[in-house]
Amino acid sequence: MVFPAKYPQLNETELTDEARSVLIRVIRVAFPHPNFPDAPYERTADTILAEAATSTWFRVAITQGLLTLAHFAGGDFRELNDDDATKVLRRIEATEFFGFVRRTTVLNLYDNKDVWDALGYEGPSFDKGGYINRGFDDLDWLPAALIEESPDATPLVEIASNVPLSSTRPTAPVASAARDTSNQPGPREAEMAEVKK
Amino acid sequence: MTAIDLTDDAVVIIGSGAGGGTLAYELTKRGIPVVVLEAGGYLHNEDYVNDEWEAFNQMAWLDPRTTSGSWRIARDFPNLPAWIVKAVGGTTTHWSGATPRFKAHEFAARSTYGRIDGANLADWPITLAEMEPYYDKAEIAMGSTHVHGRKPLPANNNYTVFANGAKERGYTHYSTGPYATNAEEYDGRPASIQDGFNFQGDKNKSKWSTLVREIPRAEATGLLDLRPNSHVVQITHDASGRADAVLYLDSEGNLHRQAAQLVAVAANSIETPRLLLQSASPMFPDGLANSSGQVGRNYMRHTTGSVYARFDKPVNMYRGETMAGVIADESKHDPDRGFAGGYYLETISLGPAFLASFVEPGAWGRDFTEILDAYRNTAGLWIVGEDMPQESNRITLNTSVTDKNGLPVPNVHFDDHKNDAAMREHGYTQAELLYDAVGSIGAHRTPPYPSTHNLGTSRMSEKPQDGVVDRWGRTHDVPNLFVSDGSQFTTGAAANPTLTIVALAIRQAEYIADQLKTGGI
Repeated sequence: MVFPAKYPQLNETELTDEARSVLIRVIRVAFPHPNFPDAPYERTADTILAEAATSTWFRVAITQGLLTLAHFAGGDFRELNDDDATKVLRRIEATEFFGFVRRTTVLNLYDNKDVWDALGYEGPSFDKGGYINRGFDDLDWLPAALIEESPDATPLVEIASNVPLSSTRPTAPVASAARDTSNQPGPREAEMAEVKK
Repeated sequence: MTAIDLTDDAVVIIGSGAGGGTLAYELTKRGIPVVVLEAGGYLHNEDYVNDEWEAFNQMAWLDPRTTSGSWRIARDFPNLPAWIVKAVGGTTTHWSGATPRFKAHEFAARSTYGRIDGANLADWPITLAEMEPYYDKAEIAMGSTHVHGRKPLPANNNYTVFANGAKERGYTHYSTGPYATNAEEYDGRPASIQDGFNFQGDKNKSKWSTLVREIPRAEATGLLDLRPNSHVVQITHDASGRADAVLYLDSEGNLHRQAAQLVAVAANSIETPRLLLQSASPMFPDGLANSSGQVGRNYMRHTTGSVYARFDKPVNMYRGETMAGVIADESKHDPDRGFAGGYYLETISLGPAFLASFVEPGAWGRDFTEILDAYRNTAGLWIVGEDMPQESNRITLNTSVTDKNGLPVPNVHFDDHKNDAAMREHGYTQAELLYDAVGSIGAHRTPPYPSTHNLGTSRMSEKPQDGVVDRWGRTHDVPNLFVSDGSQFTTGAAANPTLTIVALAIRQAEYIADQLKTGGI
């Protein structure tokens, strides 16, 4: 941490209101939710600033990051449209600054009731008696499903019939060539698919 | 509660979760006094909170740990390899409740799967037939639905999507259980109110845990000396190589010595080998009970992953029992799928706070926020399957990082085996097809969360050179030292492990009680 030692006056630096509003714009662009009000973004920016106040390293990172944004924007980052602003953020996404903003935002932006309301999450439920009488089973666009295995179901075959069982069938049968394995995502590399003597 | 003197040679159990809590009850029930040393505090059901981060900070094991290896956890959550609990009741207070049994061939993985390159497979020294009576006892104790006359849980919204998809895909082995949460009053505990917070401890006591069943019953015998906030740092031994005491720290950092006649370690699969390694001595230079060199190795975490699928209509997946939905069709062993072993698909749900943190760590931008914006219309499932034991997947002591007591922290090293990667890929594909079949308009493949199923680091083996403990969980090297948690697992099977840990603990308690009576220990 060479930088803060060389410029100890940075320890006294309070970020400006302008810096705060750039930070809010960064969070809005990086985590765009059309139906979120401003408050959660502002609160998240304040959380980031509060954390930066406790750490010289974060404060250095934020100061440098905000300056870099202005360089890449060729002026005021806040004046870029969403697409251009996103491009700038892509260019800095590997930086300490952006990592700090991203981590802190992910941990805090979504941990508040106003955001839960916007997303359709109802929060604590025990005090309301859970959802037993409040819609845990109110989905109406699919038919009711069996909750027990159908009595008509054939028992699960636990070991496929074509498996070479080293204990019981030491010579391995070859899997049928006609078998449809098109649901396999990749090459078959499993040992037991090989024929061995 | 009985106070057992520090100088009395006690039966000492380290940990109060699925293994330790069960063992404590089963021994005290038979008239054997025990000391239980629990690293965490004593939280009660009314202490729990319906808030993901607050509950996490209240319950989770947050002592520092480090990680290495190619798993994403080492990048995304380098100090949180596992998501387990530090409190009385252990991780049974956080688990969701799914209780499938192992299949017969999963106790014989080496014989069934054959030799697999890079995998340190072995057969268990026990069979399903031997375990069946104990599975019965465990299911009855835990109140597993769908078996022994226990009513199934009703379908919640997430399950209705999941089960309809299963049906469309031709699966036939799907249901809302077995699941150790009451659908109706049972064993003195009420029916589920479907509050959706069983990862957060379950305030309603409908979910089985050792906190609601085994610990209070053991206390009621008057034979349990439960000491919360007691973090064991070493097991010592006498000149003959028998365990003779346990050293532990209280919450103020004071060291105590509890003399021991018998020690059972049930500290979960990271702390159990950590403790054995910390107990190295001139007689056991590589760690207590580690003549095989297998202590800490073969760390397994199940092959997991989630798929969150979006629909154009509401699901509200967070309402109701989180994991009361199981598809068993893929739990078979069918190497034509491209891998050995099988996996279950189980419903899962996270709130927005956790979904944001875990759905795609490191992601941002519109691709990320559209996952959250679709929250109300999202259904989720979890893939949980057998992973390959590998000697290099391993818990070691990281002597360059210490915890607040100056103890070396455990390092968790993990690389996926190619069998694990192939299974996960298959699971993702099947899950997406399942949701497509009921009209999904988009889905996201979520990587494994910090491990909840930690297994295999003191494994059971027939021969002492292949593992750490014998068929009873008794260490091959130290006759009065037992391992009583998921560390014993020789292989992981596809099933969620808690039922098997409990069944093994019930079985081990019978053995220990018998040995104590007959002087075999």
